[in-house]
Parts: sequence; structure tokens; C-alpha cells
Amino acid sequence: MNSAAPLSTLDRFLSSFFNPEVAARYVVPMLDGMLLTVGLGLCVIATGLVLGLALAVMRIQHVRLVNFFIVAFADIFRALPPLVVIILLFFAFPYIDLSMSAFTATWLALSLVLAAFTEEIFWAGMLAIPQGQWEAARSTGLGPWATLVHVILPQAVRMTVPPLTNRTIAITKGTALGSVVALHEVLNVSSAASSEAGNATPLVMGAVAYLILFIPFVVLGRWVETRFAWKR
Amino acid sequence: MRPALELRDLRKAYGPLAVLHGVNLSVPTGKLVFIIGPSGSGKSTLLRCCNLLEVPQSGAVLVDGKDITLSGINLNELRQQVGMVFQSFNLYPHMTALGNVTLALRKVQKLSKAQAEDEGLQALSRVGLTDKADTYPGQLSGGQQQRVGIARSLALKPKILLFDEPTSALDPELVGSVLQVMRELRESGMTMVVVSHEMGFARVAADHVVFMDQGQIVEQGSPQAIFDTPQHPRLREFLTSLGQR
Amino acid sequence: MDNLINVFFNPDIMSKVWPFLLQGLWMTILLSLTVVPLGLVGGLAVALAGNQGPRWLRWATVVYVDFFRAFPPLVLLILIYFGIPFLGIDMPKFIAVAMGFLLNTSSYYGEVFRAGLESVPRGQMEAARSTGLNRAQALWHVVIPQATRNVLPELISNTLEVIKLTALASVVALPELLNNARQAQALTYNPTPIVLAALMYLALLWPVVRLLSRLEHRSTVVR
Repeated sequence: MNSAAPLSTLDRFLSSFFNPEVAARYVVPMLDGMLLTVGLGLCVIATGLVLGLALAVMRIQHVRLVNFFIVAFADIFRALPPLVVIILLFFAFPYIDLSMSAFTATWLALSLVLAAFTEEIFWAGMLAIPQGQWEAARSTGLGPWATLVHVILPQAVRMTVPPLTNRTIAITKGTALGSVVALHEVLNVSSAASSEAGNATPLVMGAVAYLILFIPFVVLGRWVETRFAWKR
Repeated sequence: MRPALELRDLRKAYGPLAVLHGVNLSVPTGKLVFIIGPSGSGKSTLLRCCNLLEVPQSGAVLVDGKDITLSGINLNELRQQVGMVFQSFNLYPHMTALGNVTLALRKVQKLSKAQAEDEGLQALSRVGLTDKADTYPGQLSGGQQQRVGIARSLALKPKILLFDEPTSALDPELVGSVLQVMRELRESGMTMVVVSHEMGFARVAADHVVFMDQGQIVEQGSPQAIFDTPQHPRLREFLTSLGQR
Repeated sequence: MDNLINVFFNPDIMSKVWPFLLQGLWMTILLSLTVVPLGLVGGLAVALAGNQGPRWLRWATVVYVDFFRAFPPLVLLILIYFGIPFLGIDMPKFIAVAMGFLLNTSSYYGEVFRAGLESVPRGQMEAARSTGLNRAQALWHVVIPQATRNVLPELISNTLEVIKLTALASVVALPELLNNARQAQALTYNPTPIVLAALMYLALLWPVVRLLSRLEHRSTVVR
């Protein structure tokens, strides 16, 4: 015989998705996960942007063979789904005795992808600068390096900031992909916790964590876009 | 006979900024009324109230005796009767000249493709551009583009044509071709309201000239009266500043 | 060298898993063909709502777009996929996955279409309305074609992203390409299937990347 009235649909929903007890249990691992996500994101941004810029600058040298590899690199890493790259690095490399931690695999994969997009964006930005700028600068005696640093790049940066911001945000969200190779970032922690607790609340917590981490970036990205409005 | 277009006590403001302070104007059928005035005087706003691209706060706009500011007016029907030619042409870049002219014929007047093209070509011939029917706006000169713009409105067989600084965006040597078309339209009996700086044109083609300043009609009369014997001091100032006196 | 080939490009294994991977590729294509058109329509609808609607609607669309752009798609997918059963709703895998992707892609396409709509000069709408076309006709025949043309490179770029996104469905065991490759890898104790899958992705997407490069470089020509 029933002793309690059946839970209403709303109650069931709330206790499945917004259960305070369950939430309290997993706050600490969740925060750890957030920290890892942020750290990973910053590493990816640092290496990806620097590598991409370096490749673009190399491409200016117009060395046929080098350019061929740069373009191939950019094409390949823009065409492959990032998850495939992560899995390739993580699962494939151990077979040749090159084992990789989940963090390294995720970081490396995302950095390569970001570098590929960054290189293309910078390249497009530099192409858009009229040849006359180079000529004028060189005619006043500036060397190629100085021209690049003081004349070309400042102008290129202006054009590249909006698409770069967008692309960086998109790729940094890819840190969630690390969960697939058991990296203890937010998604991984939340999924595991949800399975363990038999409750969806940790998943919701994870979602909230991502929103907290990324909405500021998206808003910043929007602001950057309007500030550096790219006129065609 | 009832005037084709009549404006009664028209008022328009953008928030706190009042642009039209009660304008009264009567445009008889078949006549060309020319509106001049310094920038910011409200001439364009006045014109755009006539086909309700701008909606006045109060006052009446009567097209053929009917007040179009009242609710219940079929806007799209109205705009077939009151056509507009724009300063920046506003041709659809993704359609040919003929495409530009026939779009409304097909979609609003529901003509068949063949009928629409027929009427479209007729309109293009009135502006002398049948040979450019299949050309895209990007390949036409400014003057040609504007003439296609005129043809686009003409094709709908409107009762009134509004011109919002039709030649201001044109290189000087192209202005003549557009003015020529406007002249021919007037001779064929079209009712026209023109906002423009082309005073020379006004002298020979306008039936009535209106001078606006700061949202009001300050003086109006025949071209001779306005240009040769201006009364109001602001009108005199304006004409002097343009070298017309 | 020999060892490298045996490990990563094992011909024996390649021929064995090839049909299985092909099935996966088919699912990837199917998923893409579902999500891309729906995403385009959804995105256009969102952009139109923001562009043509009252101010509050414009804000609502910005919030919607920013929300789903901030949300990692994998998280969204998992949330929907595992969360829905908790609600007691029974949903086929494909649909749950498609729904998750749709929310994400419609916001990205929405953002692209927003920029496209804003790039069409106001005069175009005015001219169209002045010839008697109603709002819907003016949008359909005059504004939207131009908006789409103006942002075509971004639309293609985004579509490329969407196709790559389908790989995420492997996480919830939808039998698409990556999923099948990983299963094959587990069964054969050899990473060749994953390499093969990567090559198949490249075969599918590299042409799109090339096309995109060409389009992008053309439109950055300074006038």
C-alpha cells in the first residue's frame, strides 16, 4: 500500500536535474575540472596562436617547398575533425612506443588545429595589405623584418582580430573533447559523476560550469568584433 | 479638379527632434512640383511621407482625395500608385535591368512572365535603355542605373512619381540623361514631385517651386517668382549661397 | 619504416575494416545532410527574427546565439542524449543527436546570416517596398539573396565545421565514421582503422577546404 503521494512531474524533474544534495557532493571535483579546462585552454591558445603566426611569417619567405608543407598542414588540420586528431594522437602513437597523456594529446591536437586556422587567417590578413605598403616601407630603408613588425603586422592584426577571436573560442571549447580520452576536465567529471549518482544533476552542473567559463569569452568576442569592425 | 496629391498640416518628429512643423502642399494632376531648400530642411522627409516610407505623427496625406495616413490603407497598393526614385538608385544588384523592372509586376501585379517582360521592356524603352535589358546594374553607368530606377517605378503605371534627389549621386556629365527622361515624363502628363538642387532644370521644367526651411514651407510660387523675385530673406540667402542670384 | 606501415597503414586490416568504415561514412553523410539544411533554415529564421522583429526579439536572438555559441557542442550532445531519458522520454539516438547539433548549428548559422542581413543596404528594402512588394516578398526576392551572396564564404566555412562536428556523435555510440573506426581499432588492436577514417575524412573534406581557401582569398582583395 502506498504511504506517500507520487511525486509530481516537476518534482521528479527537479530532483533528477537540480538535486542540491547530489550537487554538493561533486562541487570539489567539478572545480578541479574547471581549473584543468581553463589551464588547458590557455595552453592551447598560447601555442596555437604563436605557431600559426610563425607559420604565416614563414610563408612570406616564399620558399616553394616550405610553403607546400605549410599549406598542406593548414589544409589537413582544417579538414580533420579535432576529435579524430585527439584520438589519433592518443591511441595511435602508443603503438610506436610514443605514449601520450590525455592532457598532452588534447593540448597538442587542439594547438595544431588552432595553428592551422590561425595561419590561414593571418595569411589572408597579410594578403589584404597592398603591396604599396611594403614598397613604401622598404623605400625608406626599413629592413624586411622591421617592415613586417612596424608596418605590415599592425595592419594585418586589425583585420584578423574578429575571425581569430571567433575561431579561438570555437577551438577552446574543444577542451571538452578531452573527456573522450578520459582527461579529467569538466565534461568527463560530470559524466562520470552522473553515472555514479544515477542522477543528471552533475551534468547540469557541468553545463553551468561551461557557461560560466565561456559566456564571458563570447561576449568579449562580440565586443571585439564591433570594435575592430572588418570592412569589406 | 481634385489635386493628385495633397498634404495637410503634416507633422513629423524623430523623438524630440521635430522635422516637419505642419506642412501644407497641393500638387495638381499632371504638374511638376519642385522642392528646394538647405539640407536639414525636411524636404526628403516630406517626400518620403508621400508614400509612407516615413509615417507622419499627425496631418493628412491625400492621394487622389483619399487620406493614406488612416489605418486600413493597403500599403502595397498605394505604392504602386505613388512611385519613388531614389538618390542612390537602389537597384537590385543580383538581377538584370529587366529583372529589376519586372519583379513587382510579377509578384505584386501578378502578371505572367511574358506579360511582365513586355511591360518591362516598354518601360525601359521610355527611358531609352531597351538594349540594356539583360545587363546587370554593376555594368551600368550611374545615369543608366538611375534611368532603370525610373523605369522600375514607371512599369507599375503610377499616378504620381516622387524623386528624392535623383541626380545628386551622379557625375555631372551623366545628369543630363536623367533630366531628359524626367522632362519627357512631365511632357507626357505625369504628376511629379521632385526634391533636387538642379535649379536650372527647375527653371525650365517645373510648374511650381516650393522652398522649405527648418521643416516648413517658407515660400512657393512659379519658377520665375521664386528664382527671379524671391521675397523671403531666407530664400534670398539660400539662392545667393548657390550662386543663383 | 616497415613497422610504421604495419602499425598505421596495415593493408590487411584496411581491407577488412573498409566496408564497416564505409557504413560509418554513410551515417556521417546522412547526419550531415540532416543537420546542415535544418541548421541553415533555423539560422536564417533566427537572423530574420532579430533583424525584422521588435527590439526585445533582437535581444532574445542575441542571447540565444551567444548561449549556444558558448556551449561546447559535446556537452550539449551529452546533456540531451543522457538527460532526456531522465525525463522519461524515449527518443531514437539519431534524433537526440540531430537535435543537439541543430541547437548548436542554428546559432552559428544565425550569426552568419545576421551579418549577411546587416550587410544589405537599407535602400534595397525601401526600393522593394516602394514598388508595392510586401515585407515577405521584399525579404525573399531582394534582401535574402543578397545577404546570402555576401556571406557565402562564411556559410561554407560553417558547413565544413558542421560536418566535422558529426564526429562527436561517436561519443554516444552513433554508428558514424569515427565510432566505427574506434570499434574496429578495439577489435583489431591496431590503429590502422583510425588512420583510415582520418584519410576518409580528408577525402571528404579537403576539397571543401580548398574551395573555401579560394573563396576567402578572393573576397579579401582590397578595393
